[in-house]
Amino acid sequence: MGNEELWVQSVLEMPKRRDILAIVLIVLPWTLLITVWHQSTIAPLLAVHKDDGGDSRRDLAAGLDSKEYCLSDRDIVEVVRTEYVYTRPPPWSDTLPTIHVITPTYSRPVQKAELTRLANTLLHVPNLHWILVEDSQRRTPLITRLLRDTGLNYTHLNVETPRNYKLRGDMRDPRIPRGTMQRNLALRWLRETFNRNNSQPGIVYFADDDNTYSLELFEEMRSTRKVSVWPVAFVGGLRYESPKVNAAGKVYGWKTVFDPHRPFAIDMAGFAVNLRLILQRSQAYFKLRGVKGGYQESSLLRELVTLNDLEPKAANCTKILVWHTRTEKPVLVNEGKKGFTDPNVEI
Amino acid sequence: MKSLLFGRFLLLLPWVLVVIIVLDIDSSRPPLPPRAGAGADGGVGGSGVGVRGPEAALPTIYAITPTYSRPVQKAELTRLANTLRQVSRLHWILVEDAAARSELVSRFVAAAGLPCTHLHVPTPRRYKRPGLPRATEQRNAGLAWLRQRHQHLPPPQPGVLFFADDDNTYSLELFHEMRTTRKVSVWPVGLVGGRRYERPVVENGKVVGWYTGWRADRPFAIDMAGFAVSLQVILSHPKAVFKRRGSQPGMQESDFLKQITTVEELEPKANNCTKVLVWHTRTEKVNLANEPKYHLDTVNIEV
Repeated sequence: MGNEELWVQSVLEMPKRRDILAIVLIVLPWTLLITVWHQSTIAPLLAVHKDDGGDSRRDLAAGLDSKEYCLSDRDIVEVVRTEYVYTRPPPWSDTLPTIHVITPTYSRPVQKAELTRLANTLLHVPNLHWILVEDSQRRTPLITRLLRDTGLNYTHLNVETPRNYKLRGDMRDPRIPRGTMQRNLALRWLRETFNRNNSQPGIVYFADDDNTYSLELFEEMRSTRKVSVWPVAFVGGLRYESPKVNAAGKVYGWKTVFDPHRPFAIDMAGFAVNLRLILQRSQAYFKLRGVKGGYQESSLLRELVTLNDLEPKAANCTKILVWHTRTEKPVLVNEGKKGFTDPNVEI
Repeated sequence: MKSLLFGRFLLLLPWVLVVIIVLDIDSSRPPLPPRAGAGADGGVGGSGVGVRGPEAALPTIYAITPTYSRPVQKAELTRLANTLRQVSRLHWILVEDAAARSELVSRFVAAAGLPCTHLHVPTPRRYKRPGLPRATEQRNAGLAWLRQRHQHLPPPQPGVLFFADDDNTYSLELFHEMRTTRKVSVWPVGLVGGRRYERPVVENGKVVGWYTGWRADRPFAIDMAGFAVSLQVILSHPKAVFKRRGSQPGMQESDFLKQITTVEELEPKANNCTKVLVWHTRTEKVNLANEPKYHLDTVNIEV
């Protein structure tokens, strides 16, 4: 009896096993098929993204006007990229503090060139927010287009420095140093946009559009706790001006020839401020009038920090990471009084 | 019997499809080429450019930059490098006007972060007078290096060559435009010739004249920053160099271009030469009036 039951049991189980085997044999190849088919469509896309991520941070612009990437592997190999692929800044990181770069600018023949090469530098820097403030009555289309085409994270502001009506022509009020109202507007914008209690880490840096910045500079300033300082080349009639740093790593003076007894004998490009400090001291602005030459920076910094709190960067202020270059005024004598070239061609 | 065959067929079908697809993927995946390293000749700079599938077809842009020592040299090279580093498949050929490679440029090239070749050739003293063309020897050295490098490589090697002075300003769009050069391409240049811009005059896609403020009677009234030459043309005209003997000021570009092309062959770029994508900016001479003659600083800082 027992044997029979066992035998029946085994007979009953066998077909079950065979069925299972049959089902597996049928289902397996179909799942394999589907997986492989999926891979064949996803793999080329992965290769493209790896490409973009690895090689000089390139990405497709949102608005490609001609060819787009085809999905099959074969097509990608043959397509020669002739469409414009504007480079994007590096992907935003959640851990890096944002650097807010404030650049005042004004209209002159070299303006577009200066902003183009500055943008080409800024495109390398992660977590960068460019605040471009025009010295104009309205935001100009030239700047609007330029900012949009760079792909940078930006804010476009404008404020016009009042003209001195006593002088003929395009003379601005010489008692107000150039760029002051624009920088102050940017500071006000930051204070209106960011909440003091919101602990979004940020650094504020004033970058004029004709200077030259190395990429290392931006990484040095990212660790600013209050105000950090470093040397600047080609200012004050010297190869460079620099803060004096003692053995304890504290700033105790200024290595300059031009008025080293200023409270902060430093150029606009030589310091950066933590955003928190800007938001806390909400009344600290650049002084508009009555500021002696070279004292502009002091007018802001003395309301923010003391000498003792300054953090020296750039290897204790021994490396040059920013140059105060100035661009020659181009010779436009052949334009004549009325202008010769087509004014619609933008330069 | 039929149902059995049918059943077997259904069973085999997916396996066959799987095999076909796998074979298809394997055959069409592009073979990964070896990483192309930076150029030879001593100063090998930065990371090599890894060539992956879609970019294997992009022609390489060779930028020849002559440079010389002066206070703003490092600043100029820094911001030029920041621009060039954004361009894919670009090979920078930096030629110093010096008898030996300087420390500053060597260190700079090592940290530049893009494929770079560091050459040097001094300009003879007698050619350093004002009014004489500058950087002739350096550009010719760049051309010689390029020709020698491609001597042993199998043709055709797609490439485009242009001359990038270290104080000009280049937009990224310019590099896209010049990459499709078949022989010699031209475009407008801003802030040159005493005007807001100079440009070739284009009709029906061909260059018919020159819109310039200075000596419009030149055969090629264009600035050094206003043209690019395909590598093939450079290699097929091995004697084409910048002239030194009998060269007139301002005729450098003309004398060079007439050895390799004609006005009819020129390819206009930048929307039929109506957009300015490069500016002939010049940097002010630095005011160093306060530098001490004696009692120099205790540390030696490179600027």
